[in-house]
Amino acid sequence: MDRQIYQEEIIERYKRPRNKGEIKDGVVAEEANFLCGDRLRIGIKMDKQGKIVLAKFEGGGCAVSMAAVDMFLDRIIGITISEAKKITGKEIEKMLGVELSMSRKKCAYLGLEVLRKIKTGDE
Amino acid sequence: MNNLRKQFPILANNPDLIYLDNAATTLKPGVVLDKMMEYYTQYGANIHRGIYPMSERATEEYERGREKVAGFIGANMASELVFTRGTTESLNLVADGWARRNLKAGDEVVVEEIGHHANLLPWQRLALEMGLVLKYVPIGDGVESLVTAKTRMVAMTAMSNVLGQKVEVGEVVAKIKRANPKVVVVVDGAQAVGHGKVNVVESGADFWAFSGHKMYGPTGIGGLWARTERWKEMEPLMLGGGAVREVSLEGYRLLDGPQGFEAGTPPIAEAIGLGAAADFVESVGRERIELEEERLAGYAYEKLVNMRGLKVLGKEGGRIVSLSVEGVHPHDLADYLGKYNICVRAGHHCAMPLHTKLGLEASLRISFGLYNSEEEVDRLVEKLDEVIKLFQNG
Repeated sequence: MDRQIYQEEIIERYKRPRNKGEIKDGVVAEEANFLCGDRLRIGIKMDKQGKIVLAKFEGGGCAVSMAAVDMFLDRIIGITISEAKKITGKEIEKMLGVELSMSRKKCAYLGLEVLRKIKTGDE
Repeated sequence: MNNLRKQFPILANNPDLIYLDNAATTLKPGVVLDKMMEYYTQYGANIHRGIYPMSERATEEYERGREKVAGFIGANMASELVFTRGTTESLNLVADGWARRNLKAGDEVVVEEIGHHANLLPWQRLALEMGLVLKYVPIGDGVESLVTAKTRMVAMTAMSNVLGQKVEVGEVVAKIKRANPKVVVVVDGAQAVGHGKVNVVESGADFWAFSGHKMYGPTGIGGLWARTERWKEMEPLMLGGGAVREVSLEGYRLLDGPQGFEAGTPPIAEAIGLGAAADFVESVGRERIELEEERLAGYAYEKLVNMRGLKVLGKEGGRIVSLSVEGVHPHDLADYLGKYNICVRAGHHCAMPLHTKLGLEASLRISFGLYNSEEEVDRLVEKLDEVIKLFQNG
């Protein structure tokens, strides 16, 4: 039986996320996972070249969604927003290191979904 | 009631299944499935149309289904029961088919904070469109408390699908009607019918809405009960074949009785299956089911209420046990339990305003059926304890 989903890193990220914090300025987007009612807000700052230098999230949710968004925000530092938007769900699953059921995919992809809503002038 | 498990093919096929999501849908006994299969394999013709014997038999069985279900809920006669797709359609039928045509701007409609979305949204939309005044009964208060001289409608629930407190509908309706005899009462009976004794006539309410699949019957069918006079004040949600007496280019005349509200080919096999479900529940005994589920819910409540970091949302004596755990999202709890074949629900259970009031995004819900046992509750508690520890220690 695969109970791998609650491996240490997911729980660790859930309890002590590295990228959770107040978003004071920068570009921001928000979305809810209506399946469970969780809300997520992502804010990012970019340098002059359009590369992401800071990414933070606010909100709550299950371990899968929180760990996924935390890892996802690590991943997008140093790339442009349009590059970040091209990251796939599969890649997120790979980062989490677990195979997800259909309903948990929605949790894991929430961060990506929110980021894709961020509108910037250069797109 | 362990011997009853054998009557459910899904439990025979999944011996390790611990199904505790009965408020979402109950499992189906073999007798219901057989009865539906019999329709499809023996006399699967359309109803009310053919003169040939097979169609006549289908019509008879369909109407027998209506008689059985009407009898089951305590209707005066079968023609007081209209088949719908379920509680949601039934409640929409009351809002659109009755209230839209009989209420006016400024009329007050009392709804509940604990209400299921199916008994909130139709009223929110209607209020917006017609200028009705919606009044929300706070959690824990009696619905009668908000009834005034301006109240024309009360939309109440016979049992919250989250907190599981059983409501003595008859007593509440009596209080409502004492406060204002003109009030029309619609009852969301989704969690009540099939889990205990329900008598729609004795309750004194005007409408009862319920679902077949939550009373061991098929999906896609349910009912709305009202007295004959009330049906005469209503319009169907849909028009079309099967519901008309005569049609000309100038207009139409609908059939009297429930058939006028059942345009199109209805869910025939489902109606027949629902009749069998009513018989099944009756044969097990509704008092026995009620007592057993109450006992099991009480057993679970006792075990859970003192667990560290865990909060049970409802009060003791409920039929459904919902809970939240400090620091662990209900999704994670349900996912973990699911890996052990324990089926419980995580989410807002179509009662977002209730969760908002409780300060929660979601909860974990454990709901019982007549096949559940104490051993299953023990296993649930054991695994719940395990996943909580996993998070607490991690």
